[in-house]
Amino acid sequence: MTDGTDLVTVSADEPPHAGLLSELETLGEQQPMAAEGHKHPSPRQYVLIGVILVILTGVEVATSYLEGHVNSNLLIVALALMASVKFFLVAAWYMHMRMDNHFFRRVFVAGIMLATVVYGIVFFFFSSTVLKS
Amino acid sequence: MSQAVVTAGPSEVDALPVGPHAHDTNTGVSNPKLAIWLFISSEALFFGAFISTYFLYRGRDAQYLKGPTPDKLLNIPFTSVTSFVLLMSSLTMVLALAAIQRGDHRRFRIWLLATALFGATFIGGQVFEFTEFYREGLHLSTNMFGTTFFVLTGLHGAHVTMGIIWLLLLWSRSMQGRLPTEKSEAVEIAGLYWHFVDVVWIFIFTAVYLIPTH
Repeated sequence: MTDGTDLVTVSADEPPHAGLLSELETLGEQQPMAAEGHKHPSPRQYVLIGVILVILTGVEVATSYLEGHVNSNLLIVALALMASVKFFLVAAWYMHMRMDNHFFRRVFVAGIMLATVVYGIVFFFFSSTVLKS
Repeated sequence: MSQAVVTAGPSEVDALPVGPHAHDTNTGVSNPKLAIWLFISSEALFFGAFISTYFLYRGRDAQYLKGPTPDKLLNIPFTSVTSFVLLMSSLTMVLALAAIQRGDHRRFRIWLLATALFGATFIGGQVFEFTEFYREGLHLSTNMFGTTFFVLTGLHGAHVTMGIIWLLLLWSRSMQGRLPTEKSEAVEIAGLYWHFVDVVWIFIFTAVYLIPTH
């Protein structure tokens, strides 16, 4: 039982931030254990996902500047696809949906599906101006 | 963790979720985690309503033609930077969770503060953007773009603000030594909320700023 205080001993000669920068190297393969016992990704994997998210965001922004040069429907589909990939990456890795109890995934997916169906019906009846040619 | 009082017979006891990872709840999963997932699920419907409304009124209404329009106001480079900051806050949040799960409370507090700081930077950017739009003549009731934009992004900003307060409360608990590793689930739950708010912004950013208006 810990009291919540620091468990890492820091040398008096070592600056407070010295270990922080090398954390990803030293703990790259160390996978923390969640409260329910399943293994979470390592910090290195988290950073890798972060890099992919940043790259995707950059591509998204660059794609938006193609407005007027490519078919707008194609542009919308490409942007929606990239946003969906980013959503999947955050949900699967950062929210631990890949490795957490599948019951939570079902709860979340149920909400997403319900929202998709409900607002799909709304769009069907009120029509969308987004996908106009 | 409290022990469950089992009054069922042996065969019924065998049917209960057991093992090292099972929780002493009816469902066999953590009740607080189930609660946050249910909340997040309902939030998907909540934000879905406002994103749908934004699209439905996008360029449709005659009111839309009054006052400034999105193509004259939206600053994509600026919002790209604030979006990047919010994405990075999700990374620092998972690093904070990883730190507390391995018992490194010092780094946990550093990453948690970094997350709150990134969140505050995002909110600062949003306040700046709102102020600029207001100066340009776009108010809540100027046109349909103003109404749907301010309500959608404002509600998201309110969620981020609540998240920052939540993170700072966790940081305060940790500073007082009241957040041991065994209670890391409290951080995981706050993290789930934070990541969801980030996920919502991924769609708002695409819907409002990146998808062509014409």
